[in-house]
Amino acid sequence: MAAELVVDGLSVARAGRRVLSDVSFALRPGDVVAVVGPNGAGKTSLLQAIVGLVRAADGHVTFDGKVLRSLSHHSAVFSYMPDDAEPPGEATVHTVIAHAERFGRPPPHLAGELKERLGVGRLAAQRAGRLSRGEKRRVALFAALCTARPVVVLDEPLATFDPLQLLEVLPVLRERAAAGTALLLSVHQMSDAEKVASQILVLDGGAVVAFGALAALRARVDRSDASLEVVVLELLRGRERDVRA
Amino acid sequence: MFARELAIVLRARVTWLQAALSALLVGHGFVLAIDVYSAGSRSAATQRLMAGEFDPLLGIVRPTLGGLYLALSLLGPLVAARALSIEKERRTFGALLLQIGAPLRLVLTKTGAALAGAALQLVAPMLLLVAWWTVGGHLGAVETAVAFVAYLLYLALVTSIGMAAAAWTETFAQAATVAILVVTASWAIDASEGFAALAWLGRALDWSVTTHLTPMERGTLLLGACLWMASVTAGALALAWVGVRIDLDRPRRIAALVLVLLVTGTASALAHRGRRGFDLTEDRRASLPGGVEEALRALPGRLAVEVYLDRDDARRRQLESDTVAKLRLARPDLDVIAPTDMRPEPAELDRDAGYGRVVVHAGGGTRETHSTSRREIVTLLFEAAGRPVPDWSQSEYPGYPFVVDGMQRTALVVIAYAAIPLTLMSAGWVLTRS
Repeated sequence: MAAELVVDGLSVARAGRRVLSDVSFALRPGDVVAVVGPNGAGKTSLLQAIVGLVRAADGHVTFDGKVLRSLSHHSAVFSYMPDDAEPPGEATVHTVIAHAERFGRPPPHLAGELKERLGVGRLAAQRAGRLSRGEKRRVALFAALCTARPVVVLDEPLATFDPLQLLEVLPVLRERAAAGTALLLSVHQMSDAEKVASQILVLDGGAVVAFGALAALRARVDRSDASLEVVVLELLRGRERDVRA
Repeated sequence: MFARELAIVLRARVTWLQAALSALLVGHGFVLAIDVYSAGSRSAATQRLMAGEFDPLLGIVRPTLGGLYLALSLLGPLVAARALSIEKERRTFGALLLQIGAPLRLVLTKTGAALAGAALQLVAPMLLLVAWWTVGGHLGAVETAVAFVAYLLYLALVTSIGMAAAAWTETFAQAATVAILVVTASWAIDASEGFAALAWLGRALDWSVTTHLTPMERGTLLLGACLWMASVTAGALALAWVGVRIDLDRPRRIAALVLVLLVTGTASALAHRGRRGFDLTEDRRASLPGGVEEALRALPGRLAVEVYLDRDDARRRQLESDTVAKLRLARPDLDVIAPTDMRPEPAELDRDAGYGRVVVHAGGGTRETHSTSRREIVTLLFEAAGRPVPDWSQSEYPGYPFVVDGMQRTALVVIAYAAIPLTLMSAGWVLTRS
């Protein structure tokens, strides 16, 4: 059986307030799970807790049946790109690329392919601080994807790209998943999530509202041809009604 | 990884700005030093006996390094703290930690890069001393190197404190403030000398950086001072390592913090026991005459000197910096006891007839004096031990009076105030824009 990432009953408290409650789901190699939800739903907290950057108040994360406890455990499993993080502005793109290759230990040819597909190779001589926002994001994406680690966690990886750029970036994500990497990403734009995700995790108020493939979520709200945006809105309204009731 | 970290440090404006500011401070100290040294040297030209007093280590090197001490203390922590804090402010810290997977490696690599950046402060004193030597001034290579070794150790200490502060705080501003406060805490301890209100801090003198730097600035390589700086540096790095361990829960982090503080405190206290020193000055002028040293080493049992003088009494300071320092080079096991330090209030409040006594113990005998003269105290040690006083002859340090004036002075002033700071600024401008 292929190694599976299991998030089991994960809860996180920040400044005495519970921001995640009892989140559970599983991620298999090749899966692309998009975490969606309104602002403040706990998307970033969930990703940070999974990769070990925020301590869980409850629950745990296992990979291949082993509970991930220490930094070295998490480091062996995850490659992580934080939200709005930028590559160091003082370093050249070449330095950032070399650093990513050194520590990501990607399989042969992956670095070359990613450089080509994400267009970062041509930026190599430039200082990262002088790049446009989109270019910086491509470099950061390269650093996260250029790895042999089995799970890549990306916080809002698509937010800065325009539709044309997305046409270049989304296939790269799909290819990484097809190669067996499990991708977990938080996505703000539902249309972007719909294009790339094999499974959707809908989060609201720190709790899981729904988890499954788009078809399953459509079935749940009884809207067989609805877009993800409509489905998520329906799910969130349904949850609100439940909470009020 | 080092290339990335080095780029973050060396392509930051603050790195070059601190180097240029430090160069100005150091340059100012250097120009004042050559002016004072030259003024004195003019008199020495007519009075040969005065020449021996002209010691470039104390007259030129030490005042020049004085500016470096100030700059390293205030500006060094900025470079060190920024190397790590910037990752937190850019939100790349967690991802970097995960990417590397080894917190210690992260801390050490960042520290190495920060050291390289802060070490730019050493450029100015080195170039200025080369300039002094080029215009004909004298420099003892080994004794000057010892003074620089002391500052290299201090540089490592300041850098590691900056790194520890950055590891335990969230922003650069917080880290810089904490680091500068910790580094300058040593100044408060130093201020306790001669300032009754801070006399209670006098017992912490062993924790002052100056206590460890001063002997080495005078060309004496002290094992204990080197070990102390190394142990505090290692302790600060260990604190930084605990600080970046975000995978540890709060109780374990606090426990690790306390453990590191305890171990560092113990190690640095033990470092003080390493009293062995090596006089690397020219003509061994920091030591007692060779014959006296040999005879002192041959004295049986432990030697002790009891000093009934307040910590802020000039006679006590003179005794410690001269007689005791020289005696310790010959006999590292010398005990110096100051009963006045045990009193809760400054001794001048209840000075009695016994105040000012210096009691020496050697070979079972005891002698007493009110003099703090080196020769008197050494003589009494031999008398107490019932041994004859050995031959006191010692090769005289010739001294190196040297006058810098006219075009030479102008050239040195231009180098100190303009050439070096501007070169550093220009190098920084080019590097940060390339």
